[in-house]
Amino acid sequence: MDIFIQQLFNGLTIGSVYSLVALGLTLVYGILHIPNFAHGALYMLGGYVTLTMMVYLGVNYWISILISIITIGILSVLMDRLVFHPLRKSTPIQHKVAAIGMLLFLEALAQLIWGADYRQMPTPYGQVIQFADVTLTVQRLIIVVAAIAVMILLYLFLKKTFMGASILAMAQNREGASLVGINTNKVAVITFFIAGTLAAIGASLTSPINLVFPGMGHLVILKAFVIIIIGGMGSIPGAILGGYILGFSESIGATYISSDYKDIIAFVLLIVILSIKPQGIFAKGGV
Amino acid sequence: MKGKIIRMLLVGFIIVFLSACIDSAGKTSNDKEEATGGENVVNIGYSGPLSGAAAYYGENTLNGLEMAVEEINEQGFEVDGKTYKLNLIAYDDKYLPNETAANARRLVQEDDTPVVFTPHSGGIAALQVFNEQENFLIGAYSSEPAITEAGNELTVRIPPSYDGYLEPFTNYAMENFGNKLAALPPVTQYGKDWAEAIKPYWEKAGGEVVHESAIDFSKDTDFFTFLTNALESNPDVLFIGGPSEPTAKVAQQARDLGFEGGFIVMDQAKLDEMKNVTGSYEPLEGSIGTIPLINANYPGTEEFVKKYQEKYNKDPGSEAGFHYLSMYIFVEAMKAAGNVEDATVIREHIQDGLESLPEEKKVYEIEKIDENGGFEINTQYGAVEGGKVVPVSGD
Repeated sequence: MDIFIQQLFNGLTIGSVYSLVALGLTLVYGILHIPNFAHGALYMLGGYVTLTMMVYLGVNYWISILISIITIGILSVLMDRLVFHPLRKSTPIQHKVAAIGMLLFLEALAQLIWGADYRQMPTPYGQVIQFADVTLTVQRLIIVVAAIAVMILLYLFLKKTFMGASILAMAQNREGASLVGINTNKVAVITFFIAGTLAAIGASLTSPINLVFPGMGHLVILKAFVIIIIGGMGSIPGAILGGYILGFSESIGATYISSDYKDIIAFVLLIVILSIKPQGIFAKGGV
Repeated sequence: MKGKIIRMLLVGFIIVFLSACIDSAGKTSNDKEEATGGENVVNIGYSGPLSGAAAYYGENTLNGLEMAVEEINEQGFEVDGKTYKLNLIAYDDKYLPNETAANARRLVQEDDTPVVFTPHSGGIAALQVFNEQENFLIGAYSSEPAITEAGNELTVRIPPSYDGYLEPFTNYAMENFGNKLAALPPVTQYGKDWAEAIKPYWEKAGGEVVHESAIDFSKDTDFFTFLTNALESNPDVLFIGGPSEPTAKVAQQARDLGFEGGFIVMDQAKLDEMKNVTGSYEPLEGSIGTIPLINANYPGTEEFVKKYQEKYNKDPGSEAGFHYLSMYIFVEAMKAAGNVEDATVIREHIQDGLESLPEEKKVYEIEKIDENGGFEINTQYGAVEGGKVVPVSGD
């Protein structure tokens, strides 16, 4: 029983990070209508910016995260304006090629700037907490709490503000949104900004329990793809639910089936869900 | 049109800005170090990863060679009445065996190098296809036993093969912590081979393997899941390995989860590099692994470490130390052979070279070269006891 609760918490930790990354990916999907492969690179750069602030400039952890959020948000917007926006009239395959190109470019760039070696991000919250028979660290608790807080804020923003409603409208029907007078350029910029911030938050929160290196984006982005397919492309609750489903299936599956089959479990789950609901758990664009 | 110009300016600005951030990490290889003119020169070849993901490792191996070459060239060395100097020629192979082969061909054909160093098993295998025909020695830096088992006549395996670690690691961990082992090797061929070697050994020594699962460092973001399951079976010892930094994370997280036993650390990970991640040796208490060079006490280690720190401003790892030492051994072998060109003759005199190696150059102690071309090293192991690394003798 103890191990079950411990693994539940482990699943909650990774699930939270997966959800954050998948949320950014799913938001941008609403605009681009292709999965943005370069999202993993934004995640990686988010980790590096926070690391650079903390280690080289001695900035406080939370302020570093804030700087990282802003930097990556702007970078994400630039990516849209410089790469995707000029391509808006071309075919989806060109978007995909551009996205993969950005991913490779940003990874090579990170390696050039920071080198290929693993970097360690220190955390002021390394303390271990024993709670009943469950072991957690403060950093892990922060990951879970912060991720859930960010998700609630995002939900409120999308549901309660005019800008949020515009984003959802545009995800549902770009032309329709344009017809009722929504400034699609502005909405695209804001969507990309939010996606960038989510990637930066995810990376900054999780880096202290792992390491920062140029390939770190690959670790989560493949899983984020699975998540948004499970949850339904473009769906916000789908991304959140999908993230936690994957997190739990990894930790619980590794415990009760086999850790060697951990990834298989996730993909079998994907096949089962797609056989029952080919559009994913939530239909596209719905909240 | 105007928008386009602004966009181009913006891109230009970003490129300038980003290139300003670049630090010296993108160092290029120095192609030829000219020996001073008019003298007899022996070219030495090197092919290793000097760019790409393993560039850091490649650089360390090359540093060791460069340092040895510089020192040797101060005086030169005498073979058959003539004084020679060394000229190190390094090419980048990006860790790709096909590139290693192309580089070696070029080195041998253009520069007549009697020796080509390469620090990865794939490249070594690629060179073994044709090194006997073209008559050059491979300075092979890999602890994979297969590279010498193939029976190649002109391969010299520099580091010890991992077979030699099984006994001392098992004995140490079993004596100090107990006989229940949980194996968490990395998902690489090397990691699997290691695990397959240590498990039967552990059981033969009277132990029990209570858990096994492989960690994929290219896919897993968090190790709590693995460790929770591994610790559920109450192991006394964890077998861990992989690149130093993520391995250190595994050890750290095992301690977070309350593990109090010892670690057997696969030779790929180095205790001193792991300490850089954990901050101190405290979480690694009770680990046994290969000894960090800076903690070893062979006759020539201290001097080498000091010189290396002065020159490169960092601690040398075993790869730098082994390359430095083997450069000296090859030179001694050339002296003993009275020949600087014929790889076969040089290979025959490596044993003599080992015996005439000056004491102060012995960064490691190598007693002899076995018939397959592997150096037999008087190995020291490092254990973390009382917050520091202490040498544990091989016997």
